[in-house]
Amino acid sequence: MAKTEHYVIIGNGVAGSEAALHLRQRDQDSRITMVTASKLLSINRYVLPKIFSSSADWRDFLLHPPEFYDQQRISVRRNTWVTHVEPEQKRLILRHRESLSYTKLLIASGGGRYIPESLSEFRDLMLKFGSYEEARSVSNALPKGGHIAMLGGDMIGLDLARSLVHDGYKVTVVGDDYLFWPHHVDQEEKQKFVAVLQGMGIDVRSGIGVTSIEEGARNKPARHIALDNKETIDADVVLSFCGLMPSVAFMAGAGVDIERGVLVNPQLQSTDENIWAAGDVCQIWSPEENQYRFFYGWENVKKMGEIAALNMTGGHESISTFQDEKLIATKTGQIDSPFWQYG
Amino acid sequence: MMNIHQPVYLEDKLEEVESSGKLAYRSQTLPTWCPGCGYFSIVEGVSKAMTDLGLNQKDTVCVSGIGCASRFPFFMNTFGFHSLHGRALPVATGIKVANDDLTVIVVGGDGDAFAIGGAHIPHAARRNIDITYILFDNGVYGLTKGQTSPTSIVGFKTTTTPYLNVDQPLNPLMMLLSYGASWVAQAYAGEPHHLTEMIEAAVAHRGFSYLHVLSPCVTFDKTSMTYKNLGMTVRPLPGDHDTSDFAAAMAAAQNTDLPQLGVYFAKERPTLADGLNEIAARAEATV
Amino acid sequence: MAKNAKQRTDIQIAICGSAGDGTIAAGDILKQAMAKAGYNVIAFDVYPPEIRGFGKCIARARITSEQVYSLKSESDCLVSLDDSHAIPHVPEVCKYGTVIYEDTPMSEMAEGTHISSHLASAQLPYGVAFREISERVTSSARSRNIVAVGYLAGLYDMPAEIFHQVIGRKFSGKPKELTDSVLSAFDAGFQTGAETFRLHFDRIGASRSKSKQSDLVMMSGNAATVRGCLDAGIDTFFGYPITPATTIMEMLAREMPKRGARLLQTEDEISAIAATLGAGYAGARAATATSGPGLALMSEMMGLGAMAELPAVAFVSQRGGPSTGMPTKTEQSDLNLAVFGVAGDGQRIILAPTNVEGCYKCAGKAFEMAEKYQTPVIVLLDLYLSNRYEAVELPVENPFSENCSKPVKKKPGKTKYSRFKLTSDGISPRAIPGDEDCMHTVTGLEHNEQGRPNDQPEIHQIMSAKRHEKLLTAVKHPGITISKRFGDKGKVDVGILGWGSTFGEILEAMIEARKEGIRCSAMKVVMLSPLPLGPIHAFMDDCGEVLVPELNYEAQFAALVTGATGRPVHRLNRVTGTPMRVREILAEIRRLAGQTEMIAAE
Ligand SMILES: Cc1ncc(C[n+]2csc(CCOP(=O)(O)OP(=O)(O)O)c2C)c(N)n1
Ligand code: SF4
Repeated sequence: MAKTEHYVIIGNGVAGSEAALHLRQRDQDSRITMVTASKLLSINRYVLPKIFSSSADWRDFLLHPPEFYDQQRISVRRNTWVTHVEPEQKRLILRHRESLSYTKLLIASGGGRYIPESLSEFRDLMLKFGSYEEARSVSNALPKGGHIAMLGGDMIGLDLARSLVHDGYKVTVVGDDYLFWPHHVDQEEKQKFVAVLQGMGIDVRSGIGVTSIEEGARNKPARHIALDNKETIDADVVLSFCGLMPSVAFMAGAGVDIERGVLVNPQLQSTDENIWAAGDVCQIWSPEENQYRFFYGWENVKKMGEIAALNMTGGHESISTFQDEKLIATKTGQIDSPFWQYG
Repeated sequence: MMNIHQPVYLEDKLEEVESSGKLAYRSQTLPTWCPGCGYFSIVEGVSKAMTDLGLNQKDTVCVSGIGCASRFPFFMNTFGFHSLHGRALPVATGIKVANDDLTVIVVGGDGDAFAIGGAHIPHAARRNIDITYILFDNGVYGLTKGQTSPTSIVGFKTTTTPYLNVDQPLNPLMMLLSYGASWVAQAYAGEPHHLTEMIEAAVAHRGFSYLHVLSPCVTFDKTSMTYKNLGMTVRPLPGDHDTSDFAAAMAAAQNTDLPQLGVYFAKERPTLADGLNEIAARAEATV
Repeated sequence: MAKNAKQRTDIQIAICGSAGDGTIAAGDILKQAMAKAGYNVIAFDVYPPEIRGFGKCIARARITSEQVYSLKSESDCLVSLDDSHAIPHVPEVCKYGTVIYEDTPMSEMAEGTHISSHLASAQLPYGVAFREISERVTSSARSRNIVAVGYLAGLYDMPAEIFHQVIGRKFSGKPKELTDSVLSAFDAGFQTGAETFRLHFDRIGASRSKSKQSDLVMMSGNAATVRGCLDAGIDTFFGYPITPATTIMEMLAREMPKRGARLLQTEDEISAIAATLGAGYAGARAATATSGPGLALMSEMMGLGAMAELPAVAFVSQRGGPSTGMPTKTEQSDLNLAVFGVAGDGQRIILAPTNVEGCYKCAGKAFEMAEKYQTPVIVLLDLYLSNRYEAVELPVENPFSENCSKPVKKKPGKTKYSRFKLTSDGISPRAIPGDEDCMHTVTGLEHNEQGRPNDQPEIHQIMSAKRHEKLLTAVKHPGITISKRFGDKGKVDVGILGWGSTFGEILEAMIEARKEGIRCSAMKVVMLSPLPLGPIHAFMDDCGEVLVPELNYEAQFAALVTGATGRPVHRLNRVTGTPMRVREILAEIRRLAGQTEMIAAE
């Protein structure tokens, strides 16, 4: 290669980390920079639920130890926000007014927690569970054996729910549209899976909406939820799990095609030849379905990172889903999902 | 050539000096100077002035640098500090700052003062430290046996200027006047009575008094500042000279061909001790 | 905080910025507040040779619950007020240490100029909107430094109330609006810091044990020197400004006149020492202060002091040399000049304190010694000691004697006074101007007992012996420890012989080495001339190997010791302008310990 490439990866989730690893393997001489808003190196977010059962600190959740990045010569710019991308100049503008140039850019910024309009007014009374810091705040707010209310009930939330129940916490899921997201389950199946969840010890109120969330009364749990069936829930923590929303705000005005996520071809290349996208942030063209679609799940996301790296370094490989997208009930009276197969 | 370092030289002269009378202010050490050196009349003059002023030996300190002239303190029966070449003034400053009650008389040669020690004179003068500086100007380095000095005239032949001196001499009187010395006068070793008078006035002055004494070096200067030449040129300052007139003093000091003797300038102003006391008063006010 | 109450505290914070950023002021507030809050603090500021403008400043403070002896070579936290200066210091931040920096810079930054791109993977970034916060609460960016201090205090759970008191005192006499605005900047920073999610692991835990707290004061080496001078009853001071000694003169200029003592800024260092000797001759307790270049100018006068047996105290704070060298960097390279820099055999007493408390002690004792042994005394400091701050305990009772002069016992009118009378200890009774019947002249010429110039062979022999022998009695001067051994007793594998400011790092390294099971001990030598040879020999007898770490290139102390004892030592020399690193000394101890084991095995 004539000049050394500078691969810049926005995001340090599963897709971004995987891509960085493969980029280094395929191009020893390049510069690799990951940019993330997080103050921490990549966290294995799938193991975050363990935060409730152990006294581990963030170091125990790291995908790779710090030395790994030094060995791989991957610079991770943490606590750094991209405000916009200038594909013409091939550079990023960072919130702290520094620019960062790239020769090839991978957008792997993932998805932020989606909060539907009906819940947005209660935003401040709900906690998040995406990053290590958020998870730690939830665990700090939750007393031993405490009660956690989950609104929505997507698969990320249910994953946390089953782990919390296992650890002796009380979990109530209030869900309708987003229950089991991103699985598409019909009404009949839904009833079946709700019953399995109940059997697992998770209190599920399906088909019910939230009327209000308030601060709990004195000597009561911190949150008081009123449902539209007149029932109420007193919980220590309220979380919303209504699927993900691709984090692409910084791409506005970049001239790269975006719908909900960054639109990419099956090789994960965007409409700009130097920009790729991988993970929960991208919408991939599916020739079979003749539409752009999201591929969720740990294995898919990981594979996307790898394929993006491959194609950014001269490869030509296409993605297809590697996971069965079916939700299943296990023989042991549990539910399982390909999205839960991680690590 | 005579070796002036030999202490043997003093023993020879002992009898001669003892017979001269008033010795209260004189130590038992005899001046080691060459016979005929102008410095003898200065030591005479200081002893006489101290007698006249009634100074107590134990409260007087004679400070000097290095040179023939600087041997002076050894010959006085006062406290003495024979310091380093060029450093008499800062040493004297320390003594006077430490104890206001002492009478401090500084002596030195022209090399000591204006060559190596030149940096100190402006500061002693501007601070108006209450000491007397008697400068023995012989226009040559005596102790090191005849080299050129900052007051040597152009064309002077010495061991270091065998092809004649080309450097312009300094004008000590103008320098001291412009540095702010509050009392400036000139005397001549060949006129001991006037010299004694000047020494008395210098010591009596409250503040920095500078007395420039023209003093022949009989050993190393046979041509320039000799008794003969000086005897023919020196004259008193005009009777109507106004010692409070700075411009007149500067004008008179320019006349180096015909050196004028007497008080050029005299003006009372606060001394260093006054200033330090004022600082102390201001500082005490803050506590 | 309560749950951390038992935890030991040991945090080192470095604040780095340019001269105009208020870096040193920020560090000052931090160290004053933490000392006031009852912690041990060792602090050291590094500032540029230029007065204003954009030179680099670093204020470092190590805050601990236990007694420690030096700064650490790694900081736990770096605060950047100017990235261009702070970036080179990012590597000094330890693993999982924090880097706090401006996240809202004034103007656009070129690629790679923001500090966030320079952090190692194991360091934690805390970007803070210093400028925006300052502008929001004070409508000016000028209080960024105060916001930063507030942020630090909030982030590390430091007591805000004490910071308020320290800021209030620092700004006393300024308009109230200014103080209020500064306090609001602090509060805004504090709140932001307190709300920040903590990823770092070090905490402000316990302070030092309560019983000790009351008597401790926070002061710099130079300030302690000044206190020593004042407590010893300094009468006169003559000086010429030179970094890093200037602040001694500046502090004395404020304090001495209040006590009726006198200070004069002279025209140069020659005058300063000349006047000091003059004042000493007249009976005053007199001192001057300078650095290497000034001491070089003073050396002729030092010889006069030795020859004329005059008291004088010279504080010499070393900096990088030779020549003008590195005026704002530390070094220990003026030892040779202090010990040998004189015409002829002009030995004088040299004291080199090793910490701030030692500065106080040595300063006061220097006056006693100068007076008692009738000699110049050089107190050898260095920039790192002059400018570093420690919480020290000063004695309640003034520990210094008022008069140590050997009096003249004369029956009136009888024998004539001999200023340089030969005595058993070489010390002659000393009279000063004003004393009845004691007139004499002191001189730099060799002289007899009466002080008359005399260059007879036997006189020079006898008088030289007199002048040197009296100094030997100074090693037994009461009330001062001139050498001391620390660590393992008896035979050890490695002994470290140290002097001056580096001894703090030596002690830390020795403590670490002992934790690793290496038998070792360290000896500080405070009196460098005359050397306490008895204790040094005894120490060396016990040591398998002797290591001498010092901040100079020529191994000056090592050579001095070898020259005086005839015994070899291992040298460890650094001239980086910064204090010696503990880990470098430790590595050398380990190496030497290995070496002795091998020899023993053979
Ligand atoms: C530092 C130093 N440099 C040089 C000398 C040598 N030295 C002694 S006296 C002297 C010059 C004396 O001349 P001056 O001051 O005019 O006095 P004079 O002997 O003529 O009275 C010199 C150069 C010295 N003692 N010290
Ligand atoms: S100045 Fe000249 S005449 Fe006087 S003592 Fe010195 S050498 Fe002799």
